[in-house]
Amino acid sequence: MTTGRSMRAGEAVLGGGLIALGGLIAVETMLTPSVGRAVVGPALFPYLISGGLVLVGLSLLREAFAGAIAHAEGLELDLWAVALVAAGLAVQFLLLDTLGWIPSTTILFAAVARAFGGRRLMVNLAIGLALAAFTFVAFNYGLGLNLPEGSIVERLTSPDAE
Amino acid sequence: MDTLAALGHGFLVALTPYNLLWSAIGVTVGTAVGVLPGIGPALTVALLLPVTYGLEPTSAFIMFAGIYYGAMYGGSTTSILLNAPGESGSIVTAIDGHAMARQGRGAQALATAAIGSFIAGTIATAALTFVAPLMVKLALLFGPAEYFALMVLALTTVTAVLGSSLARGLASLFLGLALGLVGIDMQTGQARLAFGVPELLDGIDTVVVAVGLFAVGETLYVASRHRFETEEIYALKGSKWMSREDWSRSWKPWLRGTLLGFPIGTLPAGGSEIPTFLSYLVEKRLAKKPEEFGKGAIEAVAGPEAANNASAAGVLAPLLSLGLPTSATAAIMLAAFQQYGLQPGPTLFDNNPELVWGMIASLYIGNVLLLVLNLPLVGFWVKLLLIPRPWLYAGILVFSSLGAYTLNNNVIDLVILWVIGLVGFGMRVLNVPVAPCVVGLILGPLAEQQFRRALAISQGDPSVFLTHPISAALLIVAVLLVIGPMVLRYRSNGAGKGDSASRSDTHPAT
Repeated sequence: MTTGRSMRAGEAVLGGGLIALGGLIAVETMLTPSVGRAVVGPALFPYLISGGLVLVGLSLLREAFAGAIAHAEGLELDLWAVALVAAGLAVQFLLLDTLGWIPSTTILFAAVARAFGGRRLMVNLAIGLALAAFTFVAFNYGLGLNLPEGSIVERLTSPDAE
Repeated sequence: MDTLAALGHGFLVALTPYNLLWSAIGVTVGTAVGVLPGIGPALTVALLLPVTYGLEPTSAFIMFAGIYYGAMYGGSTTSILLNAPGESGSIVTAIDGHAMARQGRGAQALATAAIGSFIAGTIATAALTFVAPLMVKLALLFGPAEYFALMVLALTTVTAVLGSSLARGLASLFLGLALGLVGIDMQTGQARLAFGVPELLDGIDTVVVAVGLFAVGETLYVASRHRFETEEIYALKGSKWMSREDWSRSWKPWLRGTLLGFPIGTLPAGGSEIPTFLSYLVEKRLAKKPEEFGKGAIEAVAGPEAANNASAAGVLAPLLSLGLPTSATAAIMLAAFQQYGLQPGPTLFDNNPELVWGMIASLYIGNVLLLVLNLPLVGFWVKLLLIPRPWLYAGILVFSSLGAYTLNNNVIDLVILWVIGLVGFGMRVLNVPVAPCVVGLILGPLAEQQFRRALAISQGDPSVFLTHPISAALLIVAVLLVIGPMVLRYRSNGAGKGDSASRSDTHPAT
């Protein structure tokens, strides 16, 4: 259960985040030595955009504390499911290069399915495996793309390719 | 006559069996993916981008045209049967379309949507055929100052016209502009905001951001909410055919919707949201039984659906002739052009006539194919709505990560996708629209380029933007669009408080 108060906090985080991003862009642009002799250098737009970010951030902060916000009455959120989906994606990009497309995508599929209430883990893993294998074959052999097969598999299949 | 000859050549290109095959595949997968709940046209195009990588550009864009139109057809099925509009243009359709489905008239709602989309799509494609070359002539009058002003206007309309709060729209826009800064500056070769990560030197890909916001962010949001919400799907039953009364109540709204949709679609006015709302209001005013509106009036499905498809064709006119995307879907199409090293605009018509005209001709063909696909086979598409949600969303994320990874074959894009997805989830919870972010990301760098070119030509004199009449007029319109609603809101502040919050719940991801 997320209350109206935490929605306001969320809006404040958004506003604060935009101000921080604006500050980061301004500082990074200031630290970058300027090259080129164009009439307008590469620094003008970053400054304009960082200024805009700070202004919008301030106005969101004002709305967060005084103005109209979305779902002011609160919004129920199942944050455990969100964490599970996010973890599934993180596991996929962390393991993709080592384990390859098929195992890491199977894990992603099962994690997301569980987050949406699919309780039969083995069935979900099987469907995920089938989908991952199908996309691997279809995209790599049918469409000529390069989904990784994984460094472990490569080492096992060609041990002398050091 | 030049136009007709060019279109004729386009048909010769599009009607070769090879290209016809890609067009047919495009409309089929476009419909199939567009039908899936939670996937609007923008995401459909982004997710299906990898499928076209192996093709040469002409066939790829013929397939794209099919995907684009197919996604529009598919989206209306979802909003009618599931009341889950995948994009802002389908919100209005969902109101009465879903009411009709509840009364067991879902088949008639789908039929009037499909036939209306066909008629509107065909008329609007014909209009596109003649308007696009005129816009190319107009574009030749444009210098950098005018292009910059036009882009500012497009960014303003996408931000100010859509959504419930200007501050939230601007937050999304500036986030997109900031992401657009990352990478090597095109004019000086200087790296900006890359923080020493070599993969960031090429910039952040529009497709990754669009998939992150529309697919990952949306999936996270649905995951957080699905325990608390129930879905109602209504089976198709009874007569599948429209009665004589249905026809006589539908044909005028189809034509009026087309008349509203195409012209507004060609303007930088944020795509299909405005024409569909206008069409709904017009039909309600003209209807014999306005009290039926909101409870399943067929006019309220026929008109807005026609307007939606007509504006989809209209959006292509500025995209092809000026390189100006005016909706999130168009922004992704522009990214697709850039992926192939093509820049839409007058030079595209000169250098790649077979691509441009082949694509336009394939829009006519795609429309016919879609009518055939949608009327008899609608029962098959409805089955796609029944995919269990755990597998559907898991599948969406598998294809999202596939699309992001195959852009550059690099894991960094998946990390960016993840971060953008989490940001998108936060935006969705706080009701921040995501379309301005996507359009800002792709238009920001282009606008900056034109701005600096204009100042280089004027030798640093910033008054060029106001002394050129076209540029001045466009900038004035942009300023009025921001200030006008603020003044109106200020004046009616006492009466309309809390007004912005009441619309928030019906607003989908776009």
